[in-house]
Amino acid sequence: MDTRVAILILNGLTQAAIFFVLGSGLTLAFGLMRVINLSHGAFYLLGGYIGYSVVHATGNWPLALVAGGLSIALFGFLFERTMLFRVRGGDLPQTLLTIALSMIIADVSLAIWGGHPLTLNVPAYLNPRVTILGITYPGFRYILMGIGVFIALSLWLILYKTKLGAAVRAGVDDRETVSALGVNIDAIYSLVFALSALLVGLAGVLGGSYLQLSPGSDTTILTYSLVIIILGGMGSLLGTIVSSLILGQLLSFGLAYAPQYSYFLIFVPMAIVLAIRPQGLFGTEV
Amino acid sequence: MILWKDRRQLVLEAIAGGLLILLPFYAGEYTVTTFVRIIYFGFLALSVGMLIGQAGMISLTQTAFFGLAGYVIGLLGAERDMPFPWRDLVAIGAVLVMALTFGLIAMRTHKIVFLMITLAFGQICWAFAQQNTSLLHGWAGIRGIRPPTIGGINFNQTSNFYWASLLIFALGIFVLWLLAKSPFGLALNGIRENPRRMAALGYPVYWIRVVAFLIAAVYAGVGGILATYNTGIITPTTIHLSRTIWVLLMVILGGATYFWGPVVGTAIAVWLDVLISQGTVRYNTVIGVIFVMIVLFLPEGVLSIADSLGEGGSLSPLRRLLDRKIADKR
Repeated sequence: MDTRVAILILNGLTQAAIFFVLGSGLTLAFGLMRVINLSHGAFYLLGGYIGYSVVHATGNWPLALVAGGLSIALFGFLFERTMLFRVRGGDLPQTLLTIALSMIIADVSLAIWGGHPLTLNVPAYLNPRVTILGITYPGFRYILMGIGVFIALSLWLILYKTKLGAAVRAGVDDRETVSALGVNIDAIYSLVFALSALLVGLAGVLGGSYLQLSPGSDTTILTYSLVIIILGGMGSLLGTIVSSLILGQLLSFGLAYAPQYSYFLIFVPMAIVLAIRPQGLFGTEV
Repeated sequence: MILWKDRRQLVLEAIAGGLLILLPFYAGEYTVTTFVRIIYFGFLALSVGMLIGQAGMISLTQTAFFGLAGYVIGLLGAERDMPFPWRDLVAIGAVLVMALTFGLIAMRTHKIVFLMITLAFGQICWAFAQQNTSLLHGWAGIRGIRPPTIGGINFNQTSNFYWASLLIFALGIFVLWLLAKSPFGLALNGIRENPRRMAALGYPVYWIRVVAFLIAAVYAGVGGILATYNTGIITPTTIHLSRTIWVLLMVILGGATYFWGPVVGTAIAVWLDVLISQGTVRYNTVIGVIFVMIVLFLPEGVLSIADSLGEGGSLSPLRRLLDRKIADKR
């Protein structure tokens, strides 16, 4: 195989790993709570920035990953507990509240971290040159892919092999019956929202190490996450995996061969799928 | 008694109308320009508000229609010298074509999914305007767009442009009011409340929603034409997501379920905009906090205050003027 094409495919896979972590959080929260967190992009940005500050101060990348993820998880948890639960069930208030939050986060981030694009420094020990089948590729990107696969497996285990997962899946179908059975559905809502925030915080650190973080990333990332979950089918984990893989390759090849339209291109599969199958590739009717 | 109330209301409306028409004679140029802004953003807010209030559809694409009309005016008028009515008609035509394309796809979905898809559509347009340099000049956009001179009246003059905008706005509001009372408007309300029942009653739900989307798009387009003439420039910033969000704020601020809600909200938001941008650099934070407050504490908008004050009866003419709830049965 052509080396250039092989590298583009690998880039696409790296991008797909980040896309998956990004989209899985959003789709999980939607599946259970029917809430679309429009501050998802701002959470990503904030997680990435916090990770950047940690790397900048300590030089410890794994610590940055943990810090970025956990701080956003905590933030998301508090947001859900103090505000979002007040407007549960209302599409419009939920939308507006999360949009407003995203405006505030983006503006405060601009005040703290400034307007210049930032990238997290990856220490050399995490980034060896790896040669597989004659193709040399930065080792850190293999680590990103590994983290993506690890998170996918963990989510699958949580959802399908634990009691919590069973309650979550039951809550998706019929939340009233689940709460009548003695499951504290409110606690599960908060937990799932925090998990969703954790994932997007992690995505921010991963994405900020691979690409750049800058003001405006929040809306771009929000759009990516929406396209990922619309294409894959809202609430479907498998759908998120498949659509991340498709969009990752599309973005990678688009940047190489049609840079003027790379951003535009990722909407094409979404439009086609919507026209034929409005619920997305693996989604069920909402 | 009813006649008496109606007469008081009529007087109130006549005074308000007179004050608006005579505005250029007693107010400064800056105030008049601000009212022009209220008018063109008012069109955009009516577009968003009509879809939310009447049809229950939260669309985040409307700003793209606003921008599309502006881009067509710029491309055909400023760059290719197409004369007055034609470029404007082409602009509205382009808006209709794009609205039909998006509408046919988006109307297959409902509620929150619809919202996400329209957000994505809006972002497609923004991405295209921003990345395309050959036709739309990327970030720079199109400059030097001027309003026409018709029948010897030069609409470059602020007061003339204001009167023209006011006339179009009054017409737009009147048409929307007729529409809300028409069988079409009532069918739309029915679909908002229960699409399945309406479908069972034999209404072509899908197509009614598409037509509502087209009408709303035209309102956004007219606003875009006025805005582009007034500012003389169209750039991707015009259709950025933050603008879309700001418009949503205006509609909610006024009260999406009230007929006058979008207009009142726009008037407040535009003046608020002037005040906040003079007072602070953390503009978005302030707007965001206001937004949160409204959603949590005043979800029905400022007109709901007039509504609850009016319960006593003393403020009823004002209340009746402002409080024309679209929905009779909520």
